[in-house]
Amino acid sequence: MGGSSERQLEGSHLDPEPSGITIEQLMLRYQQADAGAATALIEQLSPQLYRFFAAQLGNPDDASDMLQDTWLRIHRVRHTYRAGEPLLPWVYAIARRVRVDNYRKRRRMSMREVAVEILPETPSKTEATGELSRFDQLIADLPASQREVLILLKVNGLSLEEVALATSSSVGSVKQKAHRAYERLRSLFPSLRAGKGAVL
Amino acid sequence: MTEHELDGLLSARELPTLPADRLKQIETAVTADLTPVKPLAPAGVYLAGFAGIFLGIWVIGCVIAGQRGWRALSELQKLGVLAPLGACVALLVFSIVRQMTPAGKHVRSTAAFSVASFALLLVTMAVVFRPAYESPFVHSGLVCFRTGMAFAIPAAMLFALLLRRGAGLSPALTGATAGGLAGLVGLAVLEVHCPNLNVYHIMVWHVSVTLACMIGGLILSSVTFRRWRSNS
Repeated sequence: MGGSSERQLEGSHLDPEPSGITIEQLMLRYQQADAGAATALIEQLSPQLYRFFAAQLGNPDDASDMLQDTWLRIHRVRHTYRAGEPLLPWVYAIARRVRVDNYRKRRRMSMREVAVEILPETPSKTEATGELSRFDQLIADLPASQREVLILLKVNGLSLEEVALATSSSVGSVKQKAHRAYERLRSLFPSLRAGKGAVL
Repeated sequence: MTEHELDGLLSARELPTLPADRLKQIETAVTADLTPVKPLAPAGVYLAGFAGIFLGIWVIGCVIAGQRGWRALSELQKLGVLAPLGACVALLVFSIVRQMTPAGKHVRSTAAFSVASFALLLVTMAVVFRPAYESPFVHSGLVCFRTGMAFAIPAAMLFALLLRRGAGLSPALTGATAGGLAGLVGLAVLEVHCPNLNVYHIMVWHVSVTLACMIGGLILSSVTFRRWRSNS
């Protein structure tokens, strides 16, 4: 599984920061109010955080809103990062909390809307995910915890240990979820291939 | 279909790219009010803090309220109460310190183990104490409940002071944990203070201090977090 706790940043991303600086070091500078470090960190981590949200939500607007919420929350709780600890699990733990809070907020709002207005025709699941490929649809149909683990491991490239920390669970539990997700995808995939070979 | 092929499909998924203007927006928002912050103290400091508050208020409670209950307990009852109580407190302290930072290790498992040790405490109490007739059940019970709460509430306030610098990603769990820990201070004081060994009295009035504090902590932390989130 890819990913290491200390990732080397590319010099081009960090101008004028010196190359070879780690995201953990940038975070420590950010805590000391170094605007350059904060900007570099946002530029370095935002694309993969955005992928984390987009891969699960499928809606780019929602994903960018959540990305912004995540950075604002990171900013508020930046003092809780401790030197010497891996940064990515800390960041992703906040990101997943933002996603959960956002989901709950939307659910509350939708419940209120249904209660006072005429129930609109709800689009079918196939229509709602029309923009996604069938493989994406299979991913979307996975249980939320399995999908999240799969995305963190395979899309965001975190290690098993990092995913375990970010999700406050054990490495064994992460392995089990990933295994179940693979089993499910594998069992569903032949039908997908028969239906639409263009995925491969 | 091999795992390798699935990996290839997952990494080949086309995901939308982040709009550059949104990135600029975030950078502007974050750097606008950038001030230096003092990092959270090491976990050991908070472990000592929570344990110190627990022990401090327990000792003060025992001195103020008296130790008639302790003298009334048999050796088996002392062991049966203190061993699971101590385990429960230790696990709750570990859990709460880990909840203060995002990506804390084994947050849920320590919380689950502390619930298990609390259940063990209840079972042990039910086994080592015997039922007895008690005419003013409610009156004497309320006295004990008030005594327990008198020490649990200051403990909860001190725990909240320590917790205020934490991240609070799961406010309901953190509130319930802190409330439960404060409630255990009250329970521990009562076990030393109260000479009433009626199992029903202990299970209803002593244990209810812990449960009331746990529920209070859960509600208060949820409300506070919701207000904090809507203000920010």
